[in-house]
Order: sequence, then C-alpha cells, then structure tokens
Amino acid sequence: MTRIAVACALAAALMAVPAAAQGDPKAELAKLKPKDFPSQPIEYTVVYPAGGGMDVTARLLAKFVEKWSGDKIIVNNRSGGAGMVGHSYLATQAKPDGHTVGVLASLVWGDAMLRAQARWSLNDLEPIGYLNSDALTWVRQTEGPYKDMSLQQIVQAAKDKPGTIRVATVPGSMWDYIVEQIEAASGAKFLRVPFQGGGAGITALVGGNVDVAQGFYSEFRGHLDGAKVAPLAVAAAARMDFLKDMPTFNEALGGNEYLWQVVRYAVVPRGTPADRKAYLGAQVQTAMKDPELIAEYKKQGVYFDPKLATSTKLADDLATYIEAERQFYVKTGRLK
Amino acid sequence: MDALGGLATGFAVILTPGNLYLCFLGSLIGTLVGVLPGVGPLAALALLLPVTFTLSPVGGMVMLASIFYGAMYGGSTTSILLNIPGEAASVVTCIDGHQMARQGRAGAALGIAAIGSFIAGTLGVVVMTFFAPLIAAVAIRFGPPENFGLMVLGLVCTLFMISGSTIKGVLMIALGFLSAAVGIDVVNGRERFTFGSVDLSGGIELLAVVIGLFGVAEVLSNVETMTKNTLVAERIRGLWPTLADWRASWMAILRGSGLGFLLGLVPGGGPVTASFVSYALERRMSRHPERFGKGAIEGVAGPESANNAAVAGSIIPVLSLGIPGNPVTALLLGALIIQGIQPGPLFMTQRPDLFWGIVASMYVGNVFLLLLNLPLVGLWAQLLRIPYRVLFPLVLLLSVVGTYSANKNVFDLWVMLAFGVAGYVLRKLEYDLAPFVIAFVLAPLLEQSLRQSLVMSPDGAMILVQRPVTALLLAASAVLVALMFRRKARIEGGS
Repeated sequence: MTRIAVACALAAALMAVPAAAQGDPKAELAKLKPKDFPSQPIEYTVVYPAGGGMDVTARLLAKFVEKWSGDKIIVNNRSGGAGMVGHSYLATQAKPDGHTVGVLASLVWGDAMLRAQARWSLNDLEPIGYLNSDALTWVRQTEGPYKDMSLQQIVQAAKDKPGTIRVATVPGSMWDYIVEQIEAASGAKFLRVPFQGGGAGITALVGGNVDVAQGFYSEFRGHLDGAKVAPLAVAAAARMDFLKDMPTFNEALGGNEYLWQVVRYAVVPRGTPADRKAYLGAQVQTAMKDPELIAEYKKQGVYFDPKLATSTKLADDLATYIEAERQFYVKTGRLK
Repeated sequence: MDALGGLATGFAVILTPGNLYLCFLGSLIGTLVGVLPGVGPLAALALLLPVTFTLSPVGGMVMLASIFYGAMYGGSTTSILLNIPGEAASVVTCIDGHQMARQGRAGAALGIAAIGSFIAGTLGVVVMTFFAPLIAAVAIRFGPPENFGLMVLGLVCTLFMISGSTIKGVLMIALGFLSAAVGIDVVNGRERFTFGSVDLSGGIELLAVVIGLFGVAEVLSNVETMTKNTLVAERIRGLWPTLADWRASWMAILRGSGLGFLLGLVPGGGPVTASFVSYALERRMSRHPERFGKGAIEGVAGPESANNAAVAGSIIPVLSLGIPGNPVTALLLGALIIQGIQPGPLFMTQRPDLFWGIVASMYVGNVFLLLLNLPLVGLWAQLLRIPYRVLFPLVLLLSVVGTYSANKNVFDLWVMLAFGVAGYVLRKLEYDLAPFVIAFVLAPLLEQSLRQSLVMSPDGAMILVQRPVTALLLAASAVLVALMFRRKARIEGGS
C-alpha cells in the first residue's frame, strides 16, 4: 500500500517535471535563476536617444522580460557619438556582474572595426539573444522624372547620365556602402546627398529634394500608405513578407553581396558569470517566444531573420555576418 | 473632416475626467521642470516615457505634450528671479527679465511671460487646428537650400543681439561656430576636432553648454559677490503689467508667436532657436534698442511667446508627417510608436480621435497653465527668501542632474563645469554669452544645409538663387545687414 503510494508519487513527480519545463516558461526561467541575482534592477543599455527605433525595441523587450521573469528592468539611454559612447561604455566600463545588458544594433560592428582603434573589440560583448532585423530598402518618388522606374532602370539612368540622380545617404555607414557597391558593380554614378539619418533622407524624398532615399520599412511606411513613395528593392537575402512585390537587390541587380541590414540583439559585457549570462539569455529568449511581443515587433515593421531566430549558437551565426562586413571593409581599403 | 468638426471630436475625447486630469498633471509637471534650473522638458519626458505605456495613447500623448509646453511657461521664472534659466529656451529671458526684477518689476515680468506664453500657445494651436495639413505640405517641400536661407536669416538676426563691443560679440559668434564644429562631419562622416576622444565624437552637448554658461556661471558670480545682495529681495510690486507695458509688449508677443511658430517647423529648430531669434528681432525692431539689457519688457514678452509658439510649430510635423524636428518631439514620436501607432501623412484621417484629441488638449492645457502660473507667481517669489547657502548648492545639484540625464555620460558634467568656469570668466571680461549660444545652435544646421545644397546642386552655389524661397530669405538677410551698417554709420556720423 505504502509502496504503491510512493510509486505513484514518484511517477507523478517524474511526469510533473517535464510538464512544468515545457508548459510554464515562468517556472523554467525560475529554475535558471542564480542565487542572489539580480540584487538590483537590471539595466538595459541603449546607445541611442530615447524615443528612437532602438529605444522602442529595448523598451518593448524590457516590458516582456519583466512579465515573464518578474525582475525589474530599467532602460537607460547612454547616447552620444552616434552610438560610439555607449558602445565603448559597454565594452570597457560596464560592470560584468549581470546587471548590465546591452540592447544593440549591428551598427556596433562598424564601430568596433573602424572606430574603436583597438581600445575594445566585439569580443568584449557576448551575444545572449537575437531580437529582430531591419533591412535597408531603397524607395523613390511617385512623381517626377523617375516615377514608374524599376531599380535596374534607375541604375541604368545613373550610368547614362552620371551624377544626376540624387540619392540620400548617411555618410560613413551602410547607407553609403551599398551605393558604393552598386557603383562599383554597374559603373553607374549617383549624386550622394548626405543626411544625418535614414528618416531625414525619406523626408527629403517626399519633399522632392532627392530622387532616391534609403531607409527601413518603419521609416517610410506612412508615406507608402499615402502613395508618396514607392519601394525599389531591399538589401536582404529574401523578399519581405509585407512587401512581396519588392525584389531584393540581389535579384534585381544580380550578385549576392547586397546584404545590408541592422541586426538587433542583446549582449552582456565579457566576464559576466556564466550562470547569470545563461539566465539573462533565457529571459530574452522567453520574451521572444511570447506571441504578443512578436506582434508588437511586427507592428514596428521589422522582420525576423530565420537563421538567427532559430539559432542555437548565436555568437557563431552573428560571426558569419560580421565576417562578411569585415571583408567589405578590407576590399574597399577601409580596414587593413 | 473639417477643422471645426475635428475639433469637436477632439474636445469630446479630451473632456473626460481621466484625460483632463492627465492634461493638468502634465501642465503641473511641466511648470515644475521648467522652474527647476538644469532639469528641462527632455529629461522629464525621457523619465516619464515608461509611465505612458500604461496609459491610453491619447492620455499618454496629452500628458507628454503638456509637459513640453508647460516647461516653456515655467522656464522664465528662475530666469527672471535668479538670472538662472529654468531651461534652455529661457536663456534670453534672463537678460531683460532679471533686470526688471532688480528694478522691483519681477511681477510684471513674470506676468507678461505667462500671458505672452498663453497668447502664443493658443495662437499656435489655432493655426494648427485650421492649417496643419497645409503647413505640413509646405514644410516638407523645405529642402536644404530653404533651410539654409532660414538659418542665414537667423544668424543675421543674432548680429543684433550683440550689446556693447561689436568685436567681442563677433568673437563670441566665431567661438560658437568653432565649438559647434566638434564632432562628426555630416558630409564625409569623419571626426573633426575630437582629438581621439570618444566622448567628443558626438560633438559638445548643447544642454551641458547652456547649463554651464548660465546656471553654473551665475552661481559662481554670485558666490563671489555673496556679501552684496544681487538678488531681488524686495517684495514683488504687483503682478499685472501696466498699460505702458502692454503697449510695449503686444506687438512683441504677436511677432514672437509668428516667428516661434515658423522656427518650430524647421527641422533642428524649436523653442531654443525661436527664443533667441525673437529677442534679436525685438531689439532690431525697437525704436529704443538702448533699453534692451536694462529691463525692456518686450525682451521678455517676445522670446517667452516665441518658445511657446515653437512648441505648437514643432508638434505639427510629428503629428501630420511623423517627422520629429528636435529631440523632444522625437521622444513624443517614440511614445506613439511604443503604443503601436506610427504617425504619418494619413495619421489625421486614420486616427482623428488621437490627432484632434491632442490638438484640443493643447487649448485646455494652455488655460490650465495660465491659471496655474499667474497665482503661482507670488509663491515663486518666495524662492528669493531661500538663503544663498541653500539655494546655490541646490541649483548646482539640479544642474548636475539635468546635464547627466541627457546622455548619462559623465563627460558631459566636465563639459558643464568647463563652460561654467568659462562663462564666469567671460562675463567678468564683459563678453556676451547669448551670441555664443545662438551661433552654437545655428552652426550645425547652417553648415549641414549649405553643404547639402552644394552637393545636390548641378550648378554649384547657383542653387541658392534658383530656389525662390532661398533667394527671398537671403535677400532679406542682405537688406537687414545693409540697414545695420547704415544705422551704425549714421550713429557714428552723428556723434
């Protein structure tokens, strides 16, 4: 009798464990929670000002991490130097005790390779979870001499009449690099008008001050709905779900090098204890399994890179993207 | 939907106890952060952003917007009473506002600031109500050449701000340009004058400069003269501006409203630029420019109206195009986006409740603020009773908090301190600090728009003449400069 009861209890316990593990993310997270951690609110560091795209991404993440873990998260904007100040802070100054998490965009790669001057490197920032991606998209006006033109036609026009098609760029960044790539491959020549961000370029496009602008879906979606801009091509590996008719650059121009996107992910400073790092990573991954958060992100107009979203070894998968970017810098003489 | 119908919708949305409460709360918080030196609307909005997640989109936006314009009301208080600007858009208010206070006319100065703010704020919303889509459509056509024309005009106006030695004034403008050049070159993306410092690579933070030059430097000056009571100890002599005050101010208020609204629309512009340019304009327009700097009430009325009108102006591109022109409006946009709303050209038709709700709340908020600020004047005056040994450390503390909160970068505190010391020394040597700040604010916009114009132009500098709006603005600037020289020649010839 007693033996049967014990056996039953044992069986129940054995069955209960996997059920809890799969069914209840909260319990699963709680199991990973290190002793005495966190002892204070966890700071999500964003290196751009409050209110921008990166800030919104981090704040939404924080909201859902709080929901699933019960830990208190504070989003802190350490802005300045176009992100450089915050990147340096995370890599060299932030205490690696698990209370600091960086919510970054892949623009940190260029900073690390071209601007950090060996004061820090990407090895100082350990990825713990992938969030989402935005691919650079070219858009043109719906009026004027270039209306109804496809990307190929516009590139051809820039080849026939070099230096006449005005493209909005952001100097020293991927907005510039992709123009460079297209010019090198096609022999076309664009007139590059510098702006301080993608959004400013889109505004100039709508105002008729440039002919082509580049930006993320969220930046031009409003004008797309108002039929003020038309999409040309996207610098991603595959077409976007929300703009099925828009080709990728690789499709439109041939080749495979036109991949310019912002990858958003979370990192901890190197040296963060393994158990805390694992817990922080699990927090992010649990939040990212919440359909509500995914829906919120989709509303922002981002997409989820299938390779990174299902990645089991995020650092390695990111490394292949980083390597591709490094090779571009080497090829163009920016990096030795 | 026509404007009146829209407005009716808006008032239906806003006239609920919950939303009215948020509007009042925002106005109160805004007044407070305006009054506290060092802490400005940007810091307050960033801090309160997470709070709005739990509110409805309308409620959240109403509160954030009312903090923004509420700060413009409060900002003048310490400028007038203590000669320390409550926030960056009230720097110029110090010049004549504090002089008025020293003459025992603090009440009139505070009163005209509140009333001017109310008139300008309300006029701004009225224009917004009826012309927002039209204005947005015109504003978006403004490209680099047009912005350049506006900035040149603004710069020419600053020449009128120079009081005392012209050479010293021009020198300060040059220094402003030089300091603004630090950071990343907008055209080629390379760093300039950063000396390898990561902290300088983003340029020098405006907030740290303003708080240093005006807040910290004023404290330093006062500590030195602690024995002499420079503050206004006497009782405030009547809150209401006299009839003569009104006669001097009403045109300044109207001009400030128009100018502020316009400069609010320009990307990179906003309340700070508006207040400076308005002060310069008033001085230029005045038949008695010699009164400026000695307690001219129009030197308070103009800028204080301009910064409020600029708020209305800068909210239009955000709500009708989704384009923020300054950091505060970028935050407003972020608040909307986090709520899952992406403002764009169709925002007005897709979310009339939100658009018109915010517009209606600005009418209500301005009334709240007037009712709040006029009676509070007496209370603020009590600030002067706080002993210096308490007041000055408090001002320094708030300066540190306000500066740090912008970027969370300790380096900015050193910048603040350096500019504090520099401001103290320059003041002793009788250099004007206002031309420095306005040059510092305008220079990046001026440089960027000029270089963009030249890059995008097939015929070089000809683009500045070919674009009619640019040509007009440049011609106006040239006329102003010519007038200035003529007047100067006449004064010198006459004496």
